[in-house]
Amino acid sequence: MWKVAVRGMRAHKLRLVLTALAIVLGVTFISGTYVLTDTLNNTFSVLFGNIYKHVDFQVRGVAAFESNAPGGGAVRRAIPESLLAKVRRVPGVGVAQGTVAGYAQYIARDGKAVVTGGAPTIGLSFDPNDELSALRLTQGTAPTSPHDVVMDAGTAGKYHFTVGDRVRILLLGPPETFTITGIATFGTANNLAGATLAAFTLTTAQALFHEPGRLDSINVRVAPGADKTQVQRALAAILPHGVEVVTGQTVVNEQTSTISKALGFFSIALLVFAFISLFVGAFTIFNTFTITVGQRTRELALLRIVGASRRQVFWSVLVEAAVIGLVSSLIGLALGVLAAVGLVKLLSGFGITLPTGPLVFEARTAIVGLLVGVGVTLVAAVGPARNAVRIPPVAALVDHPVVHAATLRRRYVVGGLFSAVGIGALADGLTKPAIQLVGLGAVCIFIGVAQLAPVVARPIASVLGRPLAKLLGTPGRLGRENSMRSPRRTAQTASALMIGLALISAVAVFGASLSRSATSSIDNAISANLIVTSSSNGMGGFSDTVPGVAAAVAGVTATSTVYAGEFEFQHSISTMTAISTKSVGLTLILRMTEGTVGALAHGELLVDSTTAMTSHVAVGDFVSVRFAKTGASTVRIGGIYEPNALIGSYLSGDGFFLSHFENPVPLAVLLQTNGSTGVERRVIAALHAYPNLKIQTRTQFEKAQQAQVSQLLGLIYALLALAVLIALIGIVNTLMLSVFERTREIGLLRAVGMKRRQVRTMIRAESVILALFGAIIGILVGTFLGVALAASLRQQGITEIAVPVSSLVTFLVLAGLLGLGAASWPARHAAKLDVLAAISTE
Amino acid sequence: MTLTEPDRTVTAAAHAVDLFKTYGTGDAAVHALSGVNVAFDRGRFTAVMGPSGSGKSTLMHCMAGLDRPTSGRTFIGGQDISLLNDAGLTQLRRDRIGFVFQAFNLVPTLTARENVTLPADLAGKKVDLEWLAYLADALGITDRLSHRPSELSGGQQQRVACARALINRPELIFADEPTGNLDSNSSAEMLGFLRRSVREFEQSVVMVTHDPRGAAFSDCVVFLGDGKVVGELQAPTEDSVLERMRQMGT
Repeated sequence: MWKVAVRGMRAHKLRLVLTALAIVLGVTFISGTYVLTDTLNNTFSVLFGNIYKHVDFQVRGVAAFESNAPGGGAVRRAIPESLLAKVRRVPGVGVAQGTVAGYAQYIARDGKAVVTGGAPTIGLSFDPNDELSALRLTQGTAPTSPHDVVMDAGTAGKYHFTVGDRVRILLLGPPETFTITGIATFGTANNLAGATLAAFTLTTAQALFHEPGRLDSINVRVAPGADKTQVQRALAAILPHGVEVVTGQTVVNEQTSTISKALGFFSIALLVFAFISLFVGAFTIFNTFTITVGQRTRELALLRIVGASRRQVFWSVLVEAAVIGLVSSLIGLALGVLAAVGLVKLLSGFGITLPTGPLVFEARTAIVGLLVGVGVTLVAAVGPARNAVRIPPVAALVDHPVVHAATLRRRYVVGGLFSAVGIGALADGLTKPAIQLVGLGAVCIFIGVAQLAPVVARPIASVLGRPLAKLLGTPGRLGRENSMRSPRRTAQTASALMIGLALISAVAVFGASLSRSATSSIDNAISANLIVTSSSNGMGGFSDTVPGVAAAVAGVTATSTVYAGEFEFQHSISTMTAISTKSVGLTLILRMTEGTVGALAHGELLVDSTTAMTSHVAVGDFVSVRFAKTGASTVRIGGIYEPNALIGSYLSGDGFFLSHFENPVPLAVLLQTNGSTGVERRVIAALHAYPNLKIQTRTQFEKAQQAQVSQLLGLIYALLALAVLIALIGIVNTLMLSVFERTREIGLLRAVGMKRRQVRTMIRAESVILALFGAIIGILVGTFLGVALAASLRQQGITEIAVPVSSLVTFLVLAGLLGLGAASWPARHAAKLDVLAAISTE
Repeated sequence: MTLTEPDRTVTAAAHAVDLFKTYGTGDAAVHALSGVNVAFDRGRFTAVMGPSGSGKSTLMHCMAGLDRPTSGRTFIGGQDISLLNDAGLTQLRRDRIGFVFQAFNLVPTLTARENVTLPADLAGKKVDLEWLAYLADALGITDRLSHRPSELSGGQQQRVACARALINRPELIFADEPTGNLDSNSSAEMLGFLRRSVREFEQSVVMVTHDPRGAAFSDCVVFLGDGKVVGELQAPTEDSVLERMRQMGT
């Protein structure tokens, strides 16, 4: 039977290639993701290992808590500088140096702020001891005066700075001008994953970062010959409470795992798309095998006649699937490696320069890739293999063997069951919320709808085909008839496209709702006319001198500074937003359900109604909170406001915030103006020295928020387009097989006078109907999923539900066009078929 | 009926000159036709007979523009069809030739009526409804016209195919073993109708068959053997056909 399976495959090379493509793409995603993240992990661990090669110990504040932000590490308190002298006196300590880091952003020669692709702009103290320092000078010398700076080689190269140049730098205080005394690399890399670095003398850095007399950490190198364990014990003995000593290796591991965590987020996103590709691919495989088993009915029946058992027939189909799965997975693994290389190049194109390192191909990558690739193919082939088993031997002897497949009634039951379970899981997952349940629900709904689709395939194809038949005459009518011929096959083929379009539509509906909610929440949350934010996508902060400068502009009547930081609320890490209490009523609209905004001025905390409900807190309650700087305390809940996507769940006054956070940078400044002409211009002029700022009217701010949403949507669309591509391969596949199946019929049509062009038109019409059918069901399912998702996030600030009709119609039209494209090869093939094929007896 | 009488070719519905058809090359070459000269008269019912492998189907395919000869020329009503490209051949088949095959004559997704009007529909021509009604009536398929092929018996399917072959009033009908899959009653009806179309509407019909009883319905039998014309019989009967076949040693 093995031989039969292999021969069968050899006879249908084309079918194989088309089927395999879906698996190849899916496994490419898996392998690419793993290779990329493993490679980056390894590279960073080598990089950090290099940097801390000579750091035996690090003295630092004990971690208050781990940051929730992707890529965020532990949040620690600074240590007093006086500790440095004590550490140096510990016997066995060779060298000890203190470091401090903070915000510093370069201004390029053209007066614009140097922006990174989301990476931080880091300022730090330059460690004159090159064994302990993370920075390696490649040109020039270390900074010595308060006006010296060492620049990272990445920024220097990109913005054409050299030693001796003067450069302006944005800081926590007003911007200042420095002289570049040296260019340095970060370990062996030009910079740290796209972050810019500005290194000052320790005292300068402390002053610039508002940390006089304080250090972030002390790096220690043990004297030659000293016993490390003893030194560590001695160090630990002199440290005050809240300060710890750890080995250099621990620091390396922590830094590496912080990067891994950030990459993990990224890799999960990529793996989700791998899963989607494979899921859609499974439908294509299922469809192909169903059709080919149908085609080989007579051959399989003959095998039964000459003595093959049912089991052998079953395995001959599965073996074919296994071989296809294996070969495609292997190709996918190899392509994944190439994709990883390409992605690194792509990231560096976005300015995220990654350190170079050898590609890492872990055994895990191969195992997961092969298991998933082969597994998916096998699972998809089980159904068709079971159909093959049902073929009676007598089918070999009759002219038109008909194998009775399970009735549509079973589909009602199975499809209905899957849909019901799916909707249940979805509802449960959305209310909890549990993302796995949501995914499971969506998968079940897709399977359920795919099962039910044949029931509606014929009427829908009939309606869709009517205008085509009218427009294209007989070929159009024949195409319509062909698409209605086997509702099962039509539905199966369209299912893959259905999933792709459902996902895209769901994203579109969700995105439109998000966008509209953001707009309305801005209108409902901010009464300020001008909004000042950092130009690096609202992520970074800016100098704390900005609010003062803005407030002094004639025509500005109120100024509110917005901060945000992480803290622990009832033992879970959350983000607290803070705003100036003085003018809050003039710039911000808070819809209070309980308590008053005035409570902010008394150092009380406001929470939104969702949080109040889930955390069981009420106005007047004292709740436990913890801050990195000041440790644990309690705070009174002063009021409850309606959920607001812009403000978040926790709001405090600026006084309270500043006393609990170390050197926070303002994230936004809200300005209320008296409406006099030219206020906006005057504000822009006043803030000219801060090129990292974006000064927007409320409308511009709304537009920018919407643009961010559409940018994200664009990225997701691009990845989902892959699923649509796989679905199209499925359509090509089905059409190709239909053309083979109908060789005689097409020959007959040609014999009685159908022109080649008409043959092509016929196949194209069928394809367009198939694609539109899949698209319509997909858009309906997707709209449902999107609305459900958006509705469930009402508490999170998605207050409006929008169905972007024009986008959905565009998708439908695009699907039709793609269907037309998918038909081009089968149509050409059909038109080239030999007329004689119809009449030559087999 | 060789070309010793050249004037006959002028009036012929179709004729072939020095037709060769070779499949494969070198040692594996098979000569399906090796120098056939033949003419089929207008307004007559001609049967082409011969044992399996004699080249009778190949001859029909070449003359109907379904297949291209290796060398030689074929004419339909005096027009050299070897000069036509695919589009020209398609149009020729659609407008000037009718076909009835042994099996698989009908498009399964179309009703009987749609199958009959298919050549006209493909050409975008108006269907002569009177003619359609007449044909359906003559063939006894009037009440089956709205059915799909799967709902028709084999005999009914062949009669629908017959109506389709005649709907455009072609110059020539090629029938390739049209009764091959039918029982003797249906066969006789079918052949009777073909003969009637020759008598009543001066239709020209060429039928490939290996059945002497079927050949007896024709006006003239052309015998093929080893890719050559080996004989001809006018006004055949079942017995005279059998007699001739015995002489040829088949």
